[in-house]
Amino acid sequence: MEYLADSKLSVMDKLEILTDAAKYDVACTSSGTERKGSSNGIGNSKACGICHSFSADGRCISLLKILFTNECIYDCKYCINRKSNDVVRTSFTPDEICELTIEFYRRNYIEGLFLSSGIIKSPDYTMELIYTAIYKLRTEYRFEGYIHVKAIPGTSQLLIDQIGLLVDRMSINLELPTAEGLKKLAPNKHRKNILAPMRQIQNGIRQNKNELVLFNHAPKFVPAGQSTQMIIGATGETDYQIVNVAESLYKKFELKRVFYSAFVQVNEDKDLPSLPGGPPLLREHRLYQADFLMRFYGFEAGELLSEERPNFNTFFDPKCDWALRHLEQFPVEINRAPMEMIMRVPGIGVKSARRIVLARRNGKLDFEDLKKIGVVLKRALYFITCNGKMMYRTKLEEDYISRNLLTVKEKLPFNWDGTTYEQISLFDANMPSIQPEIFRAM
Amino acid sequence: MTNILICEDSLTGILTGIYRAYEWKLKPEDTVIQIGEEGNLVLFAEYTHIEPDEDAAFKVIRSIKRILGESVAYDLETALLSDDMTKGNAVYHTVVLALNDKKTRVMECLQNDYVRKVFELSRRVGNEIHHLLGFLRFEELENGVLCAVVSPKSNIITRLAPHFTDRFPLENFVICDEKRGLVVVHPKKQGWFVTEGAAEMFATIDRSSKEEYIQSLFKHFVDTIAIESRRNESLQRNMLPLRFRPYMTEFKC
Repeated sequence: MEYLADSKLSVMDKLEILTDAAKYDVACTSSGTERKGSSNGIGNSKACGICHSFSADGRCISLLKILFTNECIYDCKYCINRKSNDVVRTSFTPDEICELTIEFYRRNYIEGLFLSSGIIKSPDYTMELIYTAIYKLRTEYRFEGYIHVKAIPGTSQLLIDQIGLLVDRMSINLELPTAEGLKKLAPNKHRKNILAPMRQIQNGIRQNKNELVLFNHAPKFVPAGQSTQMIIGATGETDYQIVNVAESLYKKFELKRVFYSAFVQVNEDKDLPSLPGGPPLLREHRLYQADFLMRFYGFEAGELLSEERPNFNTFFDPKCDWALRHLEQFPVEINRAPMEMIMRVPGIGVKSARRIVLARRNGKLDFEDLKKIGVVLKRALYFITCNGKMMYRTKLEEDYISRNLLTVKEKLPFNWDGTTYEQISLFDANMPSIQPEIFRAM
Repeated sequence: MTNILICEDSLTGILTGIYRAYEWKLKPEDTVIQIGEEGNLVLFAEYTHIEPDEDAAFKVIRSIKRILGESVAYDLETALLSDDMTKGNAVYHTVVLALNDKKTRVMECLQNDYVRKVFELSRRVGNEIHHLLGFLRFEELENGVLCAVVSPKSNIITRLAPHFTDRFPLENFVICDEKRGLVVVHPKKQGWFVTEGAAEMFATIDRSSKEEYIQSLFKHFVDTIAIESRRNESLQRNMLPLRFRPYMTEFKC
């Protein structure tokens, strides 16, 4: 292991090493808490979160995302900082972290700090060092912007309590969706060491909310909530298993967000899959879509997938896929249906559904109005009626609608337009789609 | 016979136009509020130039706030910050619709073309404000003043000022709108105000000794944080349009 004395590495070098080491942690939002500045400090916080820049891979840069140190006593197989990797190891001092955060923050480069770490000596030893740095930032430098700290699995209760009063968000990574996966790729980390602090943070937040009701100026404990991250594609779990894990995390641990990180090959190891096609980006995308459906559209995990259909459809997003399998629920009458049902129509999102419900109070809506409101009629027309009439005469039949929806290509954020090739046969009864009849039902 | 009221492109100007339309009891169906010059003349139309009047404008905004509520007034004001030339007319007809039926919920009537236009404009301006809150970059001058330059499509630096005042109460900072020659000034521990000034006058002042170092740290940070196997420049361009980049540290060469 290469060991350079700290004095030989400049802040620039340390920043490069410790940013590079932290970049696979995708939980980098600055949202969740609204806090006004005090008049003798620096910083405030916006509940919606602010994106300050975007990196070359298209992801938002909102926080100064660094590791406290990339030294580590664990040997997790997917991690670039694993004990058995020969990389340059270094650490920041608390002052260096504070200076960087404040100087970047003043110039409006960042919303705040995201601090994770490898493990020196033990989880508690490392977390105490992190505590010192955060305490300094909050008190000496009077920083009131956003702070997100990653708790190390196995951290003691006392430290969680103390750090929770200083930060906005604290999270612990689940790493792998199942205990078996975790055992295979990260044998030093145990499931109970991850779930116990999660439970403790959850209880702390709930208790703190009660205290705030009684006494408005009580110090806040983790006001922006908890989140976690899972690696997708490193082990063999199905989408169904992953989505179930996410659902129970939201329900049982009251997490704010679950993040899904497509597995990136940084290490060679016999237990890691080789990914000839690169990281599983489409799968990650589908999981995020399913995650939003569960959080905002009122879907249950069991509605999206099942034991018989354990993986997502590559051609259709999960909502569309659900609609095609449940055509008995359609068509939905725009002027009368409840909002929960309107939101389930492909092409109508939460915002459009809300606008429809508000606008229809002031008069009946027609297809022209829907287009103006922002509904994607090319997708929705198969599933809705306005005043009893469908837009074009269409059959409510899975194959017919599927074929037509395939021509309305989904906008994917990466370069995969979904073309696959199929052998044509003389016996194909249904040829590729033709324009639906433009025939307004009288 | 159409009445065309020509107003100055400012909040005061357009609100005065609305005031006059009511004062002269003009029929809304025949009235159009136009911004700027006369342009192509229309047959059978009567053109009237409206002089901006502070009192009249104030009365209009007070009535709107009182009858329709703060949030509708805020949406209308936001829409009027945009650079779209039909904004005056859209706002006028929305106000007419709202006051006729005393609708505090006028912004929900998206079937109406004028309401929808106001909604789209206020959303567009709101999005630009939100973008700039993140993309604005300060540089530290030799005397410790933080200086930022932006070039927004809409006239929004007055909406950026309160956010940064709350965030940096102990800093002296200025925000320059290069396009319009306006500057927001915030002295330490005080409120903020707007004045006229060219962005060039700050370009010649020396930066502080630390400035270049911090900038290079941040540029390196942004370069290092990208995951190479997920590189996607078109997604980056979607999220961060090219027009913002000349003013952002990490994209300057």
